[in-house]
Amino acid sequence: MIQEAPGSIFFVTLKHSVKLFVLYWNKVVLAASIVSKTGKVLVSRQFVDMTRIRIEGLLAAFPKLVGTGKQHTYVETENVRYVYQPVEALYLLLVTNKQSNILEDLDTLRLLSKLVPEYAYSLDEEGICKTAFELIFAFDEVISLGHKENVTVAQIKQYCEMESHEEKLHKMVMQSKINETKDVMKRKASEIDKSKIEKGRVDKGGFMSLQSMGSGRIESSFSDMSISDGGSGGFGSSSGFGLSTDIESFSSKSKGRPPSSATAPPKGLGMQLGKSQKTNQFLESLKAEGEVILEDVQPKAGQSRSAALPLTDPITLTVEEKLNVMLKRDGGVSNFDLQGTLLLQILNQEDGHIQVQIETGGNPGILFKTHPNMNKELFSNENILGLKDPNRPFPTGQTGDAAGVGLLKWRMQSTDESIVPLTINCWPSVSGNDTYVSIEYEASSMFDLRSVVISVPLPALREAPNVRQIDGEWRYDSRNSILEWSILLIDHSNRSGSMEFVVPAADSSVFFPISVQFSATNTFSDLKVLNIIPLKGGSPPKYAQRTQLITDNYQVV
Amino acid sequence: MEKSCSLLVHFDKGTPAIANEIKEALEGNDMPAKIDAMMKAIMLLLNGETLPQLFITIIRYVLPSEDHTIQKLLLLYLEIIEKTDAKGRVLPEMILICQNLRNNLQHPNEYIRGVTLRFLCRLKETEIIEPLIPSVLQNLEHRHPFIRRNAILAVMSIYKLPQGEQILGDAPDMIEKVLLTEQDQSAKRNAFLMLFNCAQDRAINYLLTHIERVSEWGDMLQMVVLELIRKVCRTNRGEKGKYIKIIISLLNVPSTAVIYECAGTLVSLSSAPTAIRAAANTYCQLLLSQSDNNVKLIVLDRLNELKSSHRDILVDLIMDVLRALSSPNLDIRRKTLDIVLDLITPRNINEVVLTLKKEVVKTQSGELEKNGEYRQMLIQAIHSCAIKFPEVASTVVHLLMDFLGDSNVGSAVDVIVFVREIIETNPKLRVSIITRLLDTFYQIRAARVCTCALWIIGEYCLSLSEVGSGIATIKQCLGELPFYSVSEEEEATESSKKDNQVNSITLSSKRPAILADGTYATQSAASETTFSPPTLVQGSLTSGNLRTLLLTGDFFLGAVVACTLTKLLLRLEEVQQSKVEVNKESTRALLIMVSMLQLGQSSVLPHPIDNDSYDRIVLCIRLLCNTGDEIRKIWLQSCRQSFVQMLSEKQLQETQEIKAKAQISHAQPDDLIDFYHLKSRKGMSQLELEDAVQDDLKRATGEFVKDGDDANKLSRILQLTGFSDPVYAEAYVTVHHYDIVLDVTVINRTKETLQNLCLELATMGDLKLVERPQNYTLAPESSKQIKANIKVSSTETGVIFGNIVYETSNVHERTVVVLNDIHIDIMDYISPAVCGDVAFRTMWAEFEWENKVAVNTVIQDEKDFLDHIIKSTNMKCLTAPSALDGECGFLAANLYAKSVFGEDALVNVSIEKQADGKLSGYIRIRSKTQGIALSLGDKITLKQKGGS
Repeated sequence: MIQEAPGSIFFVTLKHSVKLFVLYWNKVVLAASIVSKTGKVLVSRQFVDMTRIRIEGLLAAFPKLVGTGKQHTYVETENVRYVYQPVEALYLLLVTNKQSNILEDLDTLRLLSKLVPEYAYSLDEEGICKTAFELIFAFDEVISLGHKENVTVAQIKQYCEMESHEEKLHKMVMQSKINETKDVMKRKASEIDKSKIEKGRVDKGGFMSLQSMGSGRIESSFSDMSISDGGSGGFGSSSGFGLSTDIESFSSKSKGRPPSSATAPPKGLGMQLGKSQKTNQFLESLKAEGEVILEDVQPKAGQSRSAALPLTDPITLTVEEKLNVMLKRDGGVSNFDLQGTLLLQILNQEDGHIQVQIETGGNPGILFKTHPNMNKELFSNENILGLKDPNRPFPTGQTGDAAGVGLLKWRMQSTDESIVPLTINCWPSVSGNDTYVSIEYEASSMFDLRSVVISVPLPALREAPNVRQIDGEWRYDSRNSILEWSILLIDHSNRSGSMEFVVPAADSSVFFPISVQFSATNTFSDLKVLNIIPLKGGSPPKYAQRTQLITDNYQVV
Repeated sequence: MEKSCSLLVHFDKGTPAIANEIKEALEGNDMPAKIDAMMKAIMLLLNGETLPQLFITIIRYVLPSEDHTIQKLLLLYLEIIEKTDAKGRVLPEMILICQNLRNNLQHPNEYIRGVTLRFLCRLKETEIIEPLIPSVLQNLEHRHPFIRRNAILAVMSIYKLPQGEQILGDAPDMIEKVLLTEQDQSAKRNAFLMLFNCAQDRAINYLLTHIERVSEWGDMLQMVVLELIRKVCRTNRGEKGKYIKIIISLLNVPSTAVIYECAGTLVSLSSAPTAIRAAANTYCQLLLSQSDNNVKLIVLDRLNELKSSHRDILVDLIMDVLRALSSPNLDIRRKTLDIVLDLITPRNINEVVLTLKKEVVKTQSGELEKNGEYRQMLIQAIHSCAIKFPEVASTVVHLLMDFLGDSNVGSAVDVIVFVREIIETNPKLRVSIITRLLDTFYQIRAARVCTCALWIIGEYCLSLSEVGSGIATIKQCLGELPFYSVSEEEEATESSKKDNQVNSITLSSKRPAILADGTYATQSAASETTFSPPTLVQGSLTSGNLRTLLLTGDFFLGAVVACTLTKLLLRLEEVQQSKVEVNKESTRALLIMVSMLQLGQSSVLPHPIDNDSYDRIVLCIRLLCNTGDEIRKIWLQSCRQSFVQMLSEKQLQETQEIKAKAQISHAQPDDLIDFYHLKSRKGMSQLELEDAVQDDLKRATGEFVKDGDDANKLSRILQLTGFSDPVYAEAYVTVHHYDIVLDVTVINRTKETLQNLCLELATMGDLKLVERPQNYTLAPESSKQIKANIKVSSTETGVIFGNIVYETSNVHERTVVVLNDIHIDIMDYISPAVCGDVAFRTMWAEFEWENKVAVNTVIQDEKDFLDHIIKSTNMKCLTAPSALDGECGFLAANLYAKSVFGEDALVNVSIEKQADGKLSGYIRIRSKTQGIALSLGDKITLKQKGGS
């Protein structure tokens, strides 16, 4: 690297750590250029970062690569593709990478070829050179950062002419204000005049100089303002004119929209899109070939909360419990571990001064632990969560991917089989060449379980197992040899259920460990947020509460 | 790190604008003059001037201008000026432009706002951008979509800057909100693109929550969606199940660009047969529905890729692919045939051949100019079908034989070669082919086809009747003897004067040629290109083709006729019981041969018979007069044997090639495994490393720097000055594709400070210096690294020379140290390549530059010498190794290479071993440009001595 080249346009040394400047997308137009048939580069506009020597090299190689008598207009080299169009004695060309979508590039080229005659005087070297900058401006409108824009020739002409109605309006307003002020100034001046005349009767000498001084100052302040910052100056505020109303309408729209439209998960039926017979067949055959196709594609629960939905409620409280359970295959619990958290998320700084009143279900097996910054006494005495230092607000904003700040944690461990929400019974029995496996589940009445998926590992099979009876639905993942039994909802109507399937003879240990996934909306702790107490007075802010029980690792071994 | 270059404008050096003039015009009030001056300033900047004095003028007089064009030019100016000092800090005066940019961002004119936002996308200096951020964010909510579009892109660019996440941390949130409410297609695309680049999870979430509506989105947005899917699935293969449905739903959208993209994505995500089939079907549809040749060719490329990985699926689609033959473009047809030929199976061969036959028939009716070439292509395709599946040969061979008389010599030759191969490999067809050939022989017009057909007749006429009709056919085609009458002779001498003129033209255009076996020869006067002069043909129209050709002086054909007759007579002796008949035929044949000799020695023809043909005809005459068993065996069996051998060799070679190809795709068990993440990661951030496909873009923008072996590097260091010179300099030369980088280390060996030290370089050949030399000051005994870029635009040996100029404090004259020349080696630019025999010979005939180098070497063995030349020139030997085998004292071979600039380099080596054991001969180099021929010649002269 050369450090002594401040003047050279080709050399720049960036001392600080150099991060390559953005490579936005894999499919881009690197440059749009016009070269003469002899190879002279007339105009070239690059849309990604590349060195001068590189682009000049690419363009210099181009005329040699263009063969004659070919009926297609693209050339590929090891690294790039040129898509070109002869325009009289010139070539109009796009340099793209080889991944680039040829159909799109041809569209772009067609558009450019319509533009060039619009702007160039004549389609020869001279004409292009004269209008080089106009062409560059037009190219910029067609391709932004290497991506094609959907524009027409008429639109581009409009963009390049830059005739703006708003600017005219703005100028008129300015003019009228200036005129108005001039009037005021004149009036003031004449008033001063009058008073001067009055005074002048007394003292005739100083009057002329004073008048000229006063008016001159006012004039200069005008010109200052119109040149300098338009936003802050008195007249300049009109630049917000027309804009301020927009902001209003936008924000009111977003407020007025029911939050559910964004937050509501897709309908339970899953994707309906053009589910014609054909698509279905296609999917079926893909599945048969072992591709994993998820029919119900839903945004991931964990992510969606933080990312998908821009939080509309100023304060959100999330109660989440995760279950870690190991059940023995012949009954009994080998491990039951529950971890819960209460998360608080505040959108705006001004809502930070609050305390949270909660209610716990009184489950004796659960021990609560507060965040070190919390006022422990307040919690143990009144079940109120607040910071030790009442003057400090809660942290705000969507920090990272966690859904807010943890206020409270709790844990429960047990070996009591009665509290397990779902027990699985699996009976493989060998009969002749086949193994008959019957599985049944039994759910405790405490919870309504949603989207239950029971995954049973199978011996490696070529075909799906023969399912003889099932409550719910099943699916076979041939790649991982897993049979998935899914039940959308387990409530009082189906506290127990079973399935039976047949596979070729196999050892019974093959079918373990069975893993289970589900979620529920009520929790073991039964923790509820009762109220939010604002510390700075005023009405309690609106808050939203979410409660969820999910499985982390729930297995039958 | 070199600065990137965002625009190039041609600059006419004839009218250099002077900085002062520009300055005056900029200060003035005349708008057009101001605009003009601004343009000149930008052009000067692009050409390497720095114009520091203009900056303040522009700030003072141009910045406040209301004119829109001026404002846009100003942005271009700001785009290309140097905004940082040597240490990478932003120049303090740049703060001055911030105010202006801010005003522009709040300008009432929406287009000014838009172009300013677009300019910000190209700005990388955080210090300048930071104060502008509030204004940029305001524009996200502007009423006008043109502004929103650009504002979103600006936000993306800023966020992607090294410190972007600090100064604009909540950008993804904002853009996500924008995305939810945005209605404008383009702005929506940009917003999604921003999330895709900056917060991929959010983009995925947005996609999944709006999954039902993806097919209704605009095509631009759909393209980004596909790109996103590809990226997600590359990093996390397990997730692809979620996305395949989206792709399938997008396969039915109206935009062809999206469909094409979908197919590509599908192939990259899944290898399940259904997915591949869907993709291949899509490609086939595009192939038929798109009328643009470019699209067709590229789609065929995609199909070709699919073919190599999923041949079995494409086999089902073979008829769809074949439909692309309806395009009149030859390149498309050729590619289509190439693909189809690889997909042939016993099940579809009949269908394919049927289609090909139909196409052949079509070429007869239409009067398109390219029909001949196309027919040739089809015939070759059918030929290779027939070799793979001999059972179809019977259905096509008769059809093809109609084309023996084709005016396109190429396709006629292909047909006869095809027939020759089939008659040997398919003995069942022999009788019918021979009958047919004898029937159509009179139609054959070209000498090359005639010779081949005669050989077949001589070799494969076995039964009495066949031999008889064979002899009869030849006689008929030769017409009445003698070939000329004495009375004609006198007329002819006169007319031959005229012919001489005609022939002299053809003769002068006649050039040495490369024969098929690689020997270098002067072709005997009348090749098939010079057709019969009209005066001599009188009367021969009735008599047949052989006579016509003979009368044009093609005595090689005469020799072939003589041989064929001899062969037929030898066979006749075996099959004909009656000695009388044999002798009768024998005398007739002798008469023909003698007439031919007579014709050759007469003055009717402009030039007499050549020695080779004469010898051969005389040999035939002797043979017929005195036959023997030994001779008979040679003539009747050995010829056939060597032909069979040739065929089997050809087959062997093909299978070997296939084997070699198959081997390439497999890695050896003990091969090294390249871990991508451990590879050179110079200048690449972690994120980009993850994305292998981005390499493509990097290669395209030339960002890939290969990390050479350090040891290798050392061997390329060139010493430029002597050790005792006051300045020592050495250079390390890196040759890239289009440029050469010189890393010069300069060391001050004196105890004095050297001022204004300058490395001045000059070039010879097609090299161009990119930048002007800089002046440096060098402290006593310190060193300095100087880098120089040189642009290369064609393949030839270039020389870089130069000197180092400096001043010392006490002597005010400038001192000059002359540097060693740096020779740029042509070998860095050419790489071995393969081309077909025919292509090689056409190029050889076309190219204008020839460099002939006499062989002068110490190497004793022909083969060793050839290897040495191949090694030292980095070329590929096109002549088959089997042709080079054996110890005959002669060797002829063709070499071929291609340069990175797409130029061809052809070399022919013809050597003979002298009696004293030395090699003699010539190496001829031909190329389109002088540079290659000269440089390669120099190289060979230098290296051919060998020894070391």
